[in-house]
Amino acid sequence: MIELRNVTLKYGDKEILKNVSLTVHDNTIKAILGPSGVGKSTILKLMLGLIKPYSGQVFVDGTDITPLRETELYPIRRKMGMVFQGNALFDSMTISQNLGFFLRENLKLPEKEVEERVSEQIRFSGLEGYEDQLPENLSGGMRKRVAIGRALIFRPHMILFDEPTAGLDPVSSKRILGLISSLRQESNLGAVIVTHIIDDVFSTADHAAVLYQGEIIFDDKTENLHQADHPFIRSILSDKILEL
Amino acid sequence: MPLAAIRTLPQELSFRTKEFLLTLQEFFLFSMRAFFTMPKLRRYWRDFLDQATICGTESIPIVLVSAISIGSLMSIEVGNLLEEFGAKTMLGRSTSITVVRELGPLLMGLMLSARFGSRNGAELGAMQISEQIDALRAFGTDPIAKLVMPRLAAALVMFIPLVALSDFAGLQSAALLAINYHKLDPGIFWNAVYPRLAPKDFVVSFLKAPVFAIIITLVSSFNGFSAKGGTAGVGRSTIKGIVVSSGLVLVANFYVSKVVLENMK
Repeated sequence: MIELRNVTLKYGDKEILKNVSLTVHDNTIKAILGPSGVGKSTILKLMLGLIKPYSGQVFVDGTDITPLRETELYPIRRKMGMVFQGNALFDSMTISQNLGFFLRENLKLPEKEVEERVSEQIRFSGLEGYEDQLPENLSGGMRKRVAIGRALIFRPHMILFDEPTAGLDPVSSKRILGLISSLRQESNLGAVIVTHIIDDVFSTADHAAVLYQGEIIFDDKTENLHQADHPFIRSILSDKILEL
Repeated sequence: MPLAAIRTLPQELSFRTKEFLLTLQEFFLFSMRAFFTMPKLRRYWRDFLDQATICGTESIPIVLVSAISIGSLMSIEVGNLLEEFGAKTMLGRSTSITVVRELGPLLMGLMLSARFGSRNGAELGAMQISEQIDALRAFGTDPIAKLVMPRLAAALVMFIPLVALSDFAGLQSAALLAINYHKLDPGIFWNAVYPRLAPKDFVVSFLKAPVFAIIITLVSSFNGFSAKGGTAGVGRSTIKGIVVSSGLVLVANFYVSKVVLENMK
């Protein structure tokens, strides 16, 4: 379980997040919805301890990670897999090397087990035949699937998606969303999805939170979004995509 | 408008000073972490070897070109000058001291700042912009241990033979020009070189190698890690890395020479 408790974040004098509280339970998919540049991706970085809040606390499985040092955070981060918006694949490594990198680096598994896990992810992501390709030779959708595979290969409890369908064509988007939905059904995984596309929320998430002007203005079951009376939520339900 | 700018000048200066001091603090902590992760060198042995090839083997041509050109130039110019005083036999002494103590290591440092430093800055900057460094952290890998420490270790090891090569090539080219251009007897040239070069000259020369290695690697890597603002940001951080490290190489070159020559007999 991940919990943000009264988190405030500032960049200089600008307040990005204002007293934000948010809980993500295990085995649920929670979407964080909001316009671009509102601080949605920042929430994921706070959950991983990549940045520290100005005030407030972040709990991962009951541990307050805000006072922890970088080296103390590494084992906590390994409980979560992160899929970055731009995928953040290592461009000098092949797909297989990208998938196996952190297993070799951090878990020091026997090479046979690393290869088995890599093959498993290649099959799960539908990337058979592309093992020895560099990321630059793959389409956007395929790169996203590699990034998801790299996050899953650790067998984390929770997976964090930063704009998983941004910049993808409709077919690739549908495939990625299908992949995300299958994670909970097949692997019993929890997930946090940051997005500005409302259709993504309805097609994958059990719970949704809406971030607007640095504050959470809605945090409930996804289907209850239709009953929300905040003007911003009403407007996004009619516009579907938030390009504000 | 100018009046408004003058009024805000104290606040602007205060902000810039704070920003500069904070950057210095970050750089200090970054450098400490790079050194403290040295015990992990065995784990990142392959990265070390890759970086040793990049900053060592692949830098040989540029080091040779700069050393040969400065050795040749010194030989011609100093030879012409000494000829006016009828002291051409002193050519070996004057060129050897200049090349070994100062210009050999200095030019090597500047060339490596441009070559190795720019590569570090651009590569790490691109990794920072594309969130690859965040990905390393997110999956539990220390990016300084993985990316900076092997570069630092490789530079510390490889810059020493590069200085030796630079000194050797500089002296050989100076000798070649002295013999063929100034028609100096080889025996006269070399007899003025070796007995005159004292151990302190080699201490000055070889001490500059690790000092330059630390400056170039840490400054360029820190700037790469600090890159922001897309591809233009990578360009800015790379340029900043080269300019700052080259400036510091020039300053360090002066102080290493001064300290060693003042304190060693």
